[in-house]
Amino acid sequence: MNPINTLEALIDRPEIISGPERPEGLGRTGLLGYFAGTLGLFMFLRMQEAVPPGTLSFLTVLALVLAANFLFAGIMHLFMDLTGDGSRGGASRLFLAFGCTDFLLTLLVPLGFFSGIKAFNGFLGFCLCILLLIYARVRLVRRLYSVSANKALLSVGLPYAGLLALFFIGFFYGLVWLIWLLV
Amino acid sequence: MEEQNNSEAIDPAVKPAPAPVPAPAPAARGTGLWLKIIAVLYAVSIVAAFVLISKADAIKKTRTKDMDISKLAALGQAKKHAVGVVEIYGAISQGNSSRAWERGSQQIAKKIRALAADKDVKAVLLDINTPGGSVGAVQEIYSAIKRAKLETKKPFIARFGEVSASGGYYVASACDLVIAQPGTITGSIGVIFSVTNLEGLMKKVGFRNEAIKSGKFKDIGSPMREMTADERKLLQGMIDDSYEQFVAAVAEGRKMTIEKTKTLADGRIFTGRQAVELGLVDKLGDLRDALDAAGEMGGIGKNPRVIRDSAPFEQLMSLMDSKLQFLGTKAMADALETAPSLEYRWYGR
Repeated sequence: MNPINTLEALIDRPEIISGPERPEGLGRTGLLGYFAGTLGLFMFLRMQEAVPPGTLSFLTVLALVLAANFLFAGIMHLFMDLTGDGSRGGASRLFLAFGCTDFLLTLLVPLGFFSGIKAFNGFLGFCLCILLLIYARVRLVRRLYSVSANKALLSVGLPYAGLLALFFIGFFYGLVWLIWLLV
Repeated sequence: MEEQNNSEAIDPAVKPAPAPVPAPAPAARGTGLWLKIIAVLYAVSIVAAFVLISKADAIKKTRTKDMDISKLAALGQAKKHAVGVVEIYGAISQGNSSRAWERGSQQIAKKIRALAADKDVKAVLLDINTPGGSVGAVQEIYSAIKRAKLETKKPFIARFGEVSASGGYYVASACDLVIAQPGTITGSIGVIFSVTNLEGLMKKVGFRNEAIKSGKFKDIGSPMREMTADERKLLQGMIDDSYEQFVAAVAEGRKMTIEKTKTLADGRIFTGRQAVELGLVDKLGDLRDALDAAGEMGGIGKNPRVIRDSAPFEQLMSLMDSKLQFLGTKAMADALETAPSLEYRWYGR
């Protein structure tokens, strides 16, 4: 089954994601989704001159995206497991399903063009894409674990909130440390 | 089965059986087609984006080539060359460790060597604000300057801040140009060896020190007893020898005779302006003047680029170290330090 067929099946019959068997071709499609989405993101960032050029730069972004999603999928599954809904889904399936949602990041390429000709605000386009991505992920989590929309939203937002909290704790600690050094 | 069929056909009054549940509707046929169209559009937009980005990069490179290369090279060259600045602040002593962020004489000598060896550094400025320090530590910095000058032929400039007395002046005497503020305290050419005598205090508290020694001078400089005449004579000999070394260094550096130098070397201090009149300082000025002079002597003109000797990481580590030491007992131990040492130091501050 080629990735387009897998995507077609996922869009038309989303319930297959929570079936007893992993949907055929999900692995390939998920990884292709990460690649295509990251390529779209990278091209968008290149158009905004926010990242350096070159294959190594792209591979760095891809590695970062893969690592972050791997970690996030793990955390989300752990959260579901701890709250009693973990038996229905799986971390690897969640990770691959997230890869399928990353296809939405390909929208960033035309948005980058529009932003380049000043027809559209690039940052706004980026935010819209991210919102769309989060929406798709929430829908997928709902399907995969059969939970309410609120819980799905909470589980998707949890890793981001955790990272943000860590960042602020580190920032606050650094600030206090700097004051201790200077005073 | 046959009967049932027959009865249904025969008796129309019987309620018909419910219709079978319809099979699920087949998946919408258009999704695959749309996905294929989106995939093609995506591929086209990726190629277009790639071409566009490559062209934009190429235009940027061409724009750089259009500029006058010789002007750019000259600009780059002028910006590249610099004056290296080494800060010598506080009492000069040999560090207690080889930590890179410690400001002992070894680290200062190392910085001087490193800056002098840097091909972009065309002159080295010593920013001095010190009352001097131990003889060995001062001479380590002095010899590092002499060696660097000999090996690299780069000019060395000394700039005095608030105080540059005794050992601070010893270090500066190795430089090609000495610049001071009019009110800088300098001079104090001489040597000092001070011993704290705690004998009376020890008697009061009932503390007695017993020294078993191999020779009569083995515990010379001990704070636990009065100094003997022989010891005083021996120490005076050492001080005289160190003094001669100091005088010789100043005479050589300032191109003076030993006799003239000795008339200024009775330990007295001078202001910067007095020092200019006496030939101990070349001219008056501030740090900006000193940097300009260094730039001109190094052949890179006024307002040169400055390379500081201290790396940010070392500064941070030094700051942390000093904080931790302050919280500990080192500050107290240093304050109670009674071990005597031979010093080129002015104790007026």
